[in-house]
Amino acid sequence: MKRGLEKKKLKENFSKKILNLFKKRKFNFTDLDLLIDTNLLTERSGEQFKKSTLTYRDLLGKEISLRPDLTVSTALKYIQEKKTKEEKYCYYGTAYRLDKKGDLKVFDQLGCEIINPSTKNSSLLLIDSILEPIKKIRKLEIVIGDVGLFKILIDALDLPERWKLRLIRHFSRREYFIELLKRLETNYDLDQETINVDTQRLQDLIKIDQSKIIGGRTVAEIVKRFKKKLKDPRDDYKGKLNVRIIRNYLKINLPLQKAEKTIIAFFNKNKLPTKNIKNYFKKIILINKKIGKKYSISFKTDFGRNAEYYTGIVFLAYAKEKGQVVELARGGEYSNLLKTLGYKKDILALGGAINLNQLINL
Amino acid sequence: MNKIKIGLPSKGRLRGDSINFFQSKNLKVVNSFGDRNYFFNIEKNNEVEGIFLHAREIIERINDGTLDMGISGLDLLKEFPEVYSENVKTFQKLDFGFADLVVAAPKDWLDVQNMADLEEVSFDFREKYTRRMRVATKYPNLTESFFLSKGVSQFRVVPSLGATESYPFTGSAELITDITSTGSTLKANNLRIINDGSILKSSACVFVSKNFLKNKFLRNFK
Repeated sequence: MKRGLEKKKLKENFSKKILNLFKKRKFNFTDLDLLIDTNLLTERSGEQFKKSTLTYRDLLGKEISLRPDLTVSTALKYIQEKKTKEEKYCYYGTAYRLDKKGDLKVFDQLGCEIINPSTKNSSLLLIDSILEPIKKIRKLEIVIGDVGLFKILIDALDLPERWKLRLIRHFSRREYFIELLKRLETNYDLDQETINVDTQRLQDLIKIDQSKIIGGRTVAEIVKRFKKKLKDPRDDYKGKLNVRIIRNYLKINLPLQKAEKTIIAFFNKNKLPTKNIKNYFKKIILINKKIGKKYSISFKTDFGRNAEYYTGIVFLAYAKEKGQVVELARGGEYSNLLKTLGYKKDILALGGAINLNQLINL
Repeated sequence: MNKIKIGLPSKGRLRGDSINFFQSKNLKVVNSFGDRNYFFNIEKNNEVEGIFLHAREIIERINDGTLDMGISGLDLLKEFPEVYSENVKTFQKLDFGFADLVVAAPKDWLDVQNMADLEEVSFDFREKYTRRMRVATKYPNLTESFFLSKGVSQFRVVPSLGATESYPFTGSAELITDITSTGSTLKANNLRIINDGSILKSSACVFVSKNFLKNKFLRNFK
């Protein structure tokens, strides 16, 4: 185990070399804000995220957090600088998080982000740039997943719209996702007794001013959703069959080279349309073609569920040291983040970071 | 010898019920220094030193070791961070101070029957109004954990100090979580309890410090 000064020197050396590599690939170095408005973090990741951030409240009651990662800071920079076109950033900085016991954990990260990419090979460029500095690590393994592919699977299933939305929204939340599948299997959804009482009450609501606000929602909004809910099929949507397909899909784990064929065969076997999937797979095919032979890459359909904001390809690079998995780098695509932070629309963005603390220990 | 330090609730029905409970165990609470004084003794017992405190503070003081034991609500202990439960142990659940912590929405939200509905509506709400739905509560931690366990992630907690039932109708929040025993206050304020929205069934409890668990004084309560 390396100590104090030795670690510091190693970090300095590594960071210089790695940032130079990033710069050669036209990523612009940027200094990022250390403090973030806590409201922005909760908008991005919900109330639960506050528990893992070091937050303080100023005298006026405003909450401010030490940055829990550098992706949010980069996205905020893009918004603050009023950018509209592709920006390629690279950074070196520290992220601060609290663990379950409330102890502070500090991560030194070197990363790059591409916001609003102008070319279709941005995923390849990003992943390759992050992997390049660590390519010489012994027994380096890469895992790739794709949250967007899961969305395509769900869209292809014969399910009511509200069930599709639920499954996609909660893909990143494993425990609740398991509960959702159980509910889908048993078709439990509506309480008929309460529905009957409320259907009578509906007549009263229809008669009043439809723009009236009740608890922050308009009467029209409530009536519309209630009617839609009643019409949505609820007894005949093949819950068991769909759950079986989803569970089997999430077991797929194979070398990247075999991913496209296997996934298409899976869709065919389950009589699901493959039109969208063939087009979507272009990015994966490109990654496989360009770096598939350079690294040992596996494709795992269950991977990439740890962060709510990932929307497409997700990756992790790790090595095994004395039987333990050492996570060296991770990242992915996040298309909804900028809008939640205040940008005018959803735009594609992707990023990845190398964990310097782990790297210097290898 | 160090005296045993006990905390009892300082106000309301919980204070009266706690004193009666002690009496039923032959531990008569006496205010030797007058009704307005916060300190009490146990009749014919010199080993105890008692203090009346806010129910929430009783848990705080057991946690920091100032008190050895006390009576408070289970809801209050559960609201504190999990580390409190390592120091503050539930010795006995009591048959008073019953209260359920529930999720309630405006009664005219016909389309919201259960937490799954709330999950959907919260996403629609965010999409339409570009902000998260607000939940007014005196129990932010319990509310947060419960909502997340039910898949509702698109919300923001608004801490409330009182009259929580009014929040959805004053524009301060869209829904609430609150303590109820019969549900009548919620109903009177045009709110209805969400079907599977029961967060916690609470009652008064005897709480003891982890280091006090084996003290023979506790035999009085068996």
